[in-house]
Order: sequence, then C-alpha cells, then structure tokens
Amino acid sequence: MKITSQALIAANRFGYGASYQQLQIASEDPKSWLAQQLSGVEFDPKLPSLQSMAQTLADFKQLKKQQQKLGKKATFPKQSIVASRALSIDSTVQAITSEHSMSWRLLDFFSNHFSVTARGRTMSAIAPTLEREAIGPNLLGNFEDLLMSVIKHPAMLIYLNNEQSAGNDSKLARKGKGLNENLAREILELHTLGVSGGYSQVDVIALANGISGWSIKRPNKAKKIEAGFNFRRVAHQPGSQTLLNKQYKQSGLAQGEAMLLDLAHHPKTAQFICFKLVRHFISDQPNAGLVAKLVKRWQQTNGNIKQVMLALIDAPESWQSASEKYKSPRDFLISSMRLLNMKPNRPQRLIRSLAQLGQQPFKAGSPAGFGDTQQDWDGASALMARIDWAAQLLDTKKVANLGDIERSLSVLLSADNLQQVMRAESRQQSLTLALMSPEFQRR
Amino acid sequence: MDRRQFIAGGAATLALWHKNSLATAVFNTNPAPKLVWVVLRGALDSLATVIPAFDPNLATLRPTIKPDPATLTQPLSRGFYLHPSLKNLYSWYQAQQLLPIVAVSSGFDNRSHFDGQDFLESGLKRTDHDNGWLARVTAVNNDAAIAVAQSTPLSLRGGDNVNTWYPSKLKQGDDDLYAALQKLYQHDDQLLAKLNDGLKLRATTMSQQPQQKNGRFTALAKGCGKLMSAPDGPDCAMLALGGWDTHNNQTNRLNRQLALLDDGLGALKESLGEQWQNTVVVIATEFGRTAKENGTKGTDHGTASTLLLAGGAVAGGRVLGEWPGLQTRQLFEARDLQPTSHTFSWLSTLMTQHWGMNSAQAAALFDGAPSYSERLVP
Repeated sequence: MKITSQALIAANRFGYGASYQQLQIASEDPKSWLAQQLSGVEFDPKLPSLQSMAQTLADFKQLKKQQQKLGKKATFPKQSIVASRALSIDSTVQAITSEHSMSWRLLDFFSNHFSVTARGRTMSAIAPTLEREAIGPNLLGNFEDLLMSVIKHPAMLIYLNNEQSAGNDSKLARKGKGLNENLAREILELHTLGVSGGYSQVDVIALANGISGWSIKRPNKAKKIEAGFNFRRVAHQPGSQTLLNKQYKQSGLAQGEAMLLDLAHHPKTAQFICFKLVRHFISDQPNAGLVAKLVKRWQQTNGNIKQVMLALIDAPESWQSASEKYKSPRDFLISSMRLLNMKPNRPQRLIRSLAQLGQQPFKAGSPAGFGDTQQDWDGASALMARIDWAAQLLDTKKVANLGDIERSLSVLLSADNLQQVMRAESRQQSLTLALMSPEFQRR
Repeated sequence: MDRRQFIAGGAATLALWHKNSLATAVFNTNPAPKLVWVVLRGALDSLATVIPAFDPNLATLRPTIKPDPATLTQPLSRGFYLHPSLKNLYSWYQAQQLLPIVAVSSGFDNRSHFDGQDFLESGLKRTDHDNGWLARVTAVNNDAAIAVAQSTPLSLRGGDNVNTWYPSKLKQGDDDLYAALQKLYQHDDQLLAKLNDGLKLRATTMSQQPQQKNGRFTALAKGCGKLMSAPDGPDCAMLALGGWDTHNNQTNRLNRQLALLDDGLGALKESLGEQWQNTVVVIATEFGRTAKENGTKGTDHGTASTLLLAGGAVAGGRVLGEWPGLQTRQLFEARDLQPTSHTFSWLSTLMTQHWGMNSAQAAALFDGAPSYSERLVP
C-alpha cells in the first residue's frame, strides 16, 4: 500500500517518525493508529531503581565516614554514574525502537515539564528515576496523580531543596532550619498555574508552608528502611494557610496534599498545560481554538491526560499540512534513527550525541526544562552540529532497506528536493541531505 | 562555478560583521566601541560579591554565611570589599577598569528566575519574548552581534545581524556536503541563512576546541574575544553563565562559581587583545537574593543585586550606587536589599557615553528609562 501524507503527519508530528512498514499501517487510518499508541510506556525492569541508587549513595556516605576516621579518602563508586546513565539510555532506546512512539514523546514532554537536572552526586544518580517511577506510571492517567507522585518523589524534593525546608514556627526551626520556597514557587510557576496564573509571593509562602516537612527517607538496610518520601511533622509549619484566597485548615501532610489537588484542578492549570501540549505537538504559536478544545476535554475528564491527547488527535486543527515545528535535537536524533531503521547497537553513544547536539538528558540546567520553540534550537552552530552528526552517523553505520527509506522520502520531500537528494554524489551524502532537508528538520 | 567557490561566495556575500567599519576608519579617530553583555543566570548574591563589610547588620542577618574577616583582602571604596575569588576583577579595579554598582534592580517585581531573566534581557517595562535590548541596540547603527550559545538568547532576539556561536565536538563534514546543502536550502531562507552563518563562524574559530565543565565558560569567553577581535568582528556579544541559585551551601558554591567567572573574564580580556581598551563588559543578574540567610546555609530569591562594569573603556576604581542599608525597615518587603537605581537606566547611560547615542535615542531603547549623570567611561 502507498503511504499517505496524513500518515506522515501522524508519525512525525505526534510521534517520533516511523519506518516504512509502520507508515503503511498508519496510512489505513492514521487517527486510530495514533490512538492505539496511547498505551503507556514500559522501561527495562532489570535496570536500577531509586531504591538501589539511594542505597549506593547511603553506602558511600557510610564508607566515607569510616575512611575519614582512618584519615583516608573514599572513592565514589563510578558504577553509580554508569547505572544512572543506563536509565537515560533506556528511555532513548525505547523511544527509538517502540511502535508506540507517541507515548514516548508524551513521556519526554512531561519529563521536561517536570524537569530535574543531574548536577552533583545525588542528583546525577537519581534524576532519571523521576520519569521512570513518578511520570511513566501516571502518564495517561489524571494530572492530579501525576503531580502528586512527582512532587513527592525524592528527585524533585532534593532538586528543589524541599527536603531540608522547615516551617519557621516548626520544632525543627528552633534548631536553625528554615523555610525554603524553591519547590513551592516552581510548582506554581512551572508545574501548575504558569507564571501568569495570578498568584503572588504570599501564595508562594503559603504553599511552601503547606509542603514544609515534605522530605525524604534515606535507606537503611539494618533498620529495614527503604528510600522514598517522608513527611517530617517536626519540620511542618503549624497552623492554617491561605493559598489563592482559600483557607487550608488541615494539619500535617493533608494540608499540602489538599493544596496540590486544588492546584491540579485549577482552570489556569488546564489552560497552561493544554497550551504547552499544543505548543509541543503542533505549533510554536498554538491555535487558541485548539487549546480550548483540549481544555474542555480536560475539564470533562478531571484532567485525564489520555483523553486530552485523544482530543488533540481528533481535532482537525492538529492536521494542518504546514510543518510548524522545528525539531528539537532529541526529536531529530530519534526520528533520524527511526527513518533509517537503525538499531542503536552502541547505545551509550546516543547520550554523547545528544550532548553534542545540545540536549543531553537531565541536563536542562533549569527547572523550566529545555525550551520548546524553534528559536531555542535553530542557532547557526546548532545547525552545523546537526549536519556533522548526520554525516558521521552515515559514515559509521550501514543502512539497510534503502528501498523503503526512499519510498518514505518520496512522500516527505518536495519533488525538487527529492531529486537533489537522489542525485547526491554518494549514498552517504544522499541520506545526510535527507536528514538535513527542510522537510525532515520540521514536522 | 565549482562547489568550493560556491561556498566561499555564499559566505562572502553574507555581510556578517559590518558595523560601518569603513566609515569608522575614515571619519572617526576613535576606534569602534565594543560591548560584551554577560548574564549570570540564577540570581547572584550581591552581598557576598561586593561585600558591605561596614554594615553591622550583615553579620546579624547572616550568622553562618557572613564573610570570614580573613577573606576580606580586596578593599574597594566606601568600605566595600570584593569577593576573594575575583582576583582578575580586583586587578582591574586597581587599574580603574572595574566599576561595581550596588543595589541595582531591573524593576522586575516577582521572584521567578526565568521571568526575571526574560525581563532583564528584554529591557522593556513588559517582557517581549521576541525583542531583546541588545538586539535593539544593534538595530540603531546596524551593528553586528554574536551570542555565545546554541540558539539566540532573548537579549539578541529580533536583531537582523545576530549570530550564534558554540563549539562543536563533532568531526566536520566535507565541503561538498555543505555546498549540496546550500543548494537544498535555496528555497528555505531561514535554514540557508543559518548554514551560511555557521560556515563563516567555523572559519573564524577553526582552532577553538570545546572544554569540559569548569573550563567551558573560560573557553567560551576566550572564543568570544577571538571573534570580536577578528578584523570586522562583531560589535557586541553575549555570554551567559548559570549556577548562581545558591539556596544552600552558599559560601563554598560562590567561592567556586565566582572563580569560574573571574577566570572566564580573564580569558576574555586576553583574547580581546588591544580591543580590551575599547570594550565595556556589563555583568548583570536577574535579581538579588534575600538579605537574611535561609535555613540551609543559603539565600532565597530577592530583589536588588549588583551590576559590574569592566573593561578598558570603563572609568572604574570606585563603587557607585546609593547604599540603602540593611536594617529590617530599610529592606524591600523586610527581606531583600532595596534597589536604589535601575539597571535599564545604567544601560541607557552606557549607550549615551560608550555607544555615542543621544539620550533620547538611548531612553527609547528601554521604554523611556532615563540616563544618569554619573560618568561610566573616562
């Protein structure tokens, strides 16, 4: 069967592109083909969890203490860095090989929405566990559950310094600990309402008080304690709080939980996240009508992410023929591998490639995550890096099934560009040009 | 025309750096001024950088992170001290080439980093994400600018003559591949312009190798100076350095971080060579940090911070800016250093004194922010 331009839009705009065989299947009914991709993500279960990462860190801490007493230095176990990198590699490899790449793109979207940066030993070890343990399992569920899992995950609590935050009138405050507003501010600004969500510094403090004491448990084998979330009542600010003009009289953990639930249900949150979804999937300048459709579905379904994504697939506005999104480096790398049907047989190279292209996983360096519009990625040097990466990839890797690739390209490229690509002086140059073509750089 | 000529032609027809260089050479004995804009992302703690050691409230507000008296070795005017890691900067201060301004703010009124940076970079009363202040500066005389970044930062968005440069670790492709791409992009102006800019940049910084981690900012600053000092090099440049969000363990982090900044700026001066004499480096941050330390030996998001001007074209060797005091009633919202002057007015002042604009032109760039009367350049 011949592949259709609708199938290409389905594969490239909603997912990370597809092989010729998949495009043939998609051509029959692109919308259903996408809908069945909303089946969630599964990670390699053999890889380490937060539990084992935290144990390694705890063991090292203990070793360091012992060695210090002896006047010696302890060496940090390198395998923990390797293990953590294996988690980033796993997500990237799955995105390349999965037949449900729309789910993997959605995971990347929320992983960037709740961005954590691997900086310092602790965060380097645990940053990639957030998307596996808090985001992945809630990816197609209700936003309130996703938000709650993410905020309670040690990677987020440590990254934004909440694990040490203590209300100024809490018992712990008397021992010199104090309130830290960092996580509360980013929840309001980046995770829920958005920066123009109509909150003030008073609300930041109220939320910071509400989640004061939200901390972490460090693992201890002897005492059979597992790593994870820990509510420390001694660090919780006592008394009621007023957030966005609503009073929260709950005491303890329930107070912050009630606040987060209300934030998850707030209309500004629906608006903010639906806007970001349309900006990610469809266009740097989201169509207000399309965003409104998503918001409506969000409100009808209590913020069910799968339903909102189905609304995105259903809307005719999502299927405009113009490709308005310039691919991010991650999108470019993954979709290149998929177009060429390449198996990442030395997957550790993928992370190096992403670093060279400017988007190393968990290295956004800011809780706002990586930018998601063309101007964040279209610098001159960045383009040169893409060209060199593509040329190098095709220099070092053999490409199979050229006929299929050419058949895909014949639908994707304009007649002129297809002719130029096909007339290149070598097979390698031809495919490099295809990856760098205007049609493949955008989606 | 063979392929190689096609590339050379493509790059040459693109007038990449052309600040009226001919006119300047013929009609003006003053060399063309240069401007480097350095944004410290994450909010620099000014009280630990330009230290008000004379203010008795400092020690009360910061019982565990106040400066160790033994580290107060770099005295400035009016009883301030410069952080001990800023060794190059202090030598410039002694040579009248560093001008710290205290208690400065962009007027940004909440405490979000990203919005604060956008506000600072936009330089308007209301952030415009596609309109940066440095881009507006370049538009007045069609100056050329370079952003040391993988994509254009807000400060330079909206400019016509703006390029980005960032070193690549990848092996470079063949010339005929670039020629084939120029042809493939003939109907795509955006990609063609980026490709031609990329080829030109690569020709200038051929030997520049990227460095890892700590060396990276230094390498970028060095490359920046190299590009600017090249014949017909750009008039303005932007660099950014993150890592200032010191919510915890501030003292150690700032010791390292300020040393990194100092090293990078030292490399910038060196690679600018003689151009240093014509250069003003403006070092700014989105806002300051709380006057009081928090519960985790750090500081939280605040308001006023410091603005540093450095370079051979700066009238330095003194500290500017009214000091608002650190008593609770003197603090902004009883928590932050109170701003006493405005970042955009200082930039406006610099445009009149260093860039040769009249004050109306300069104020127009910043939504009417008026110039100050203080001399910033000799």
